[in-house]
Amino acid sequence: MSEHVTLTLRGGLDGALEVEGVAGDRFAALSQGEIAALPVWLGARTARLGDFFDVTGERSSTIRVVGPVDDVARVNGLGAGMSAGELTIDGDAGARVGARMTGGRVDVLGNAGDDAGMAMAGGVLKVRGRAGDRLGAAAPGASKGMTGGEIVVAGSAGADAGARARRGLIVVGGDAGRDAARATIAGTLVVFGRTGPDPGRASKRGSIIALGEIVPPATYWYACTYQPPHVRLTLTYLRRQYGFAVDARILDGRYRRYCGDSGTPGRGEILELVAS
Amino acid sequence: MNIRGVHIEDTFAEAFGMSAARVIVTAVNERWARASAQALTGFATSIIACKCEAAIERELTPDETPDGRPGISALFFAMDSVGLGKRLVERIGHTVLTCPTTSCFDGLPDAADRVTPGRALRVFGDRFQISKIVGGRRYWRVPVMEGEFLVQESFGVLKNGVGGGNFLILAEDEASGLAAAEAGVAAMAEVPGVILPFPGGVARSGSKIGARGYASLIASTNDAYCPTLRASTDSALPEGVNSVLEFVLDGLDADAIRRAMRVGIDAACRPGVRAITAGNYGGNLGKHKFHLHEIMNGTS
Repeated sequence: MSEHVTLTLRGGLDGALEVEGVAGDRFAALSQGEIAALPVWLGARTARLGDFFDVTGERSSTIRVVGPVDDVARVNGLGAGMSAGELTIDGDAGARVGARMTGGRVDVLGNAGDDAGMAMAGGVLKVRGRAGDRLGAAAPGASKGMTGGEIVVAGSAGADAGARARRGLIVVGGDAGRDAARATIAGTLVVFGRTGPDPGRASKRGSIIALGEIVPPATYWYACTYQPPHVRLTLTYLRRQYGFAVDARILDGRYRRYCGDSGTPGRGEILELVAS
Repeated sequence: MNIRGVHIEDTFAEAFGMSAARVIVTAVNERWARASAQALTGFATSIIACKCEAAIERELTPDETPDGRPGISALFFAMDSVGLGKRLVERIGHTVLTCPTTSCFDGLPDAADRVTPGRALRVFGDRFQISKIVGGRRYWRVPVMEGEFLVQESFGVLKNGVGGGNFLILAEDEASGLAAAEAGVAAMAEVPGVILPFPGGVARSGSKIGARGYASLIASTNDAYCPTLRASTDSALPEGVNSVLEFVLDGLDADAIRRAMRVGIDAACRPGVRAITAGNYGGNLGKHKFHLHEIMNGTS
């Protein structure tokens, strides 16, 4: 048993590499040889993890992935399905990082590709840089996206962040792209920057907490301007847990509450910080 | 044993196992948090008639509360977790939910046993309530005329709580007894995990089990410690004692009771106090025994 397992990508990937089982709970039970023998796919070609990565350590739930930044960013599926342990990606991550996670913690020190935290059900996915499209959203064809856990992105996120989310907390430190929180069933999306066009479209019960510019769709109705206690609780939590810069302006601020979307049960909400 | 001229009797306080909860009330400022917390813990001096015992534990700074606002923590004690849960529903529902700007949180997040007053109170929202999960804990947003009431769904319960820790001040006169009591209260207020549920932290009407003249009474005046009955009953009062006050302590565990009794007794040993003693039932009823000498010697 090692303190941690390190996967060092040798570099020179000429396409996207799909990995499976790079997860703290899986590695905790695997020897170095078994880790190296995990299946990967480069295009249509099946190979072994050890064909691309040098593996050091074994039987540990703490994993570190290192290598040339441009190449690690082409590795898809890191941390997918993880239920426990810690995975740190020392740079950018490819698509579907932390997808279907149910527990543990994935920390991307750079940017994350599309579908990060897709259909996530638990645990924490932290991205120090930007995230691509469909952050915490549903798998193609699935009725539900994220159903639990927390996704925290320090930078911006692409389109469809939180689409079809059923539960969970998604935080975007920068801007969020168009169609944020589309068709959410529940859950919360916090956007510190600007929220793109058509937020909360077809939302049933989800919440968007917009600390920057946002234009609620015409299908949302204004309810009131007030100080929502759960916003204060959430922001205080984000400051303490993740170190977000939450000042008195937003902590003590007043928020416009819009209810929608009118085409659905209409119990979703957009909470827009009133500029002081 | 003698502390600064005050005799410490070689006896023990007999106390009972209880279920305990800690409730945190926050508000826009300390005034409203306290207003709510005082109502929340009102009429909760004795389990006999109040169904629970409760009091404010201490003030909390914004850094200590979940939502970063001023707060008050209060401790609740009942005979079992079912009863405790019912009391929390009743009391939070009528004293915190109703109070402007307040929110209500669990103060024992690590406790494995849980009761769910927030789940019961959510229905006041008449299906307009909204659930939110923050940091893995579920909260309910209940719409009210002022805005929203936020309440945590579940509250931790400690089953090793202790109720009925006690000691008595035997004083020469009312003024000396009261001064000693106030000093004791001030000292014990600094001990976390302990409350003194009676008004001002002190009871003047210690009781005995049952009654001499009324069969239906479960408790009646502790005549052995009533100075006015010295000549009429089998008095336990030493010569020169003309006023007796009792502290009743409830704690999250037995160690908290010991710590509080130690500093409380020490603080109460003042001029005009003849002796400190404690109440018990012969040691056959309560789960806990707090021997005064062992506590003051630091051997308990």
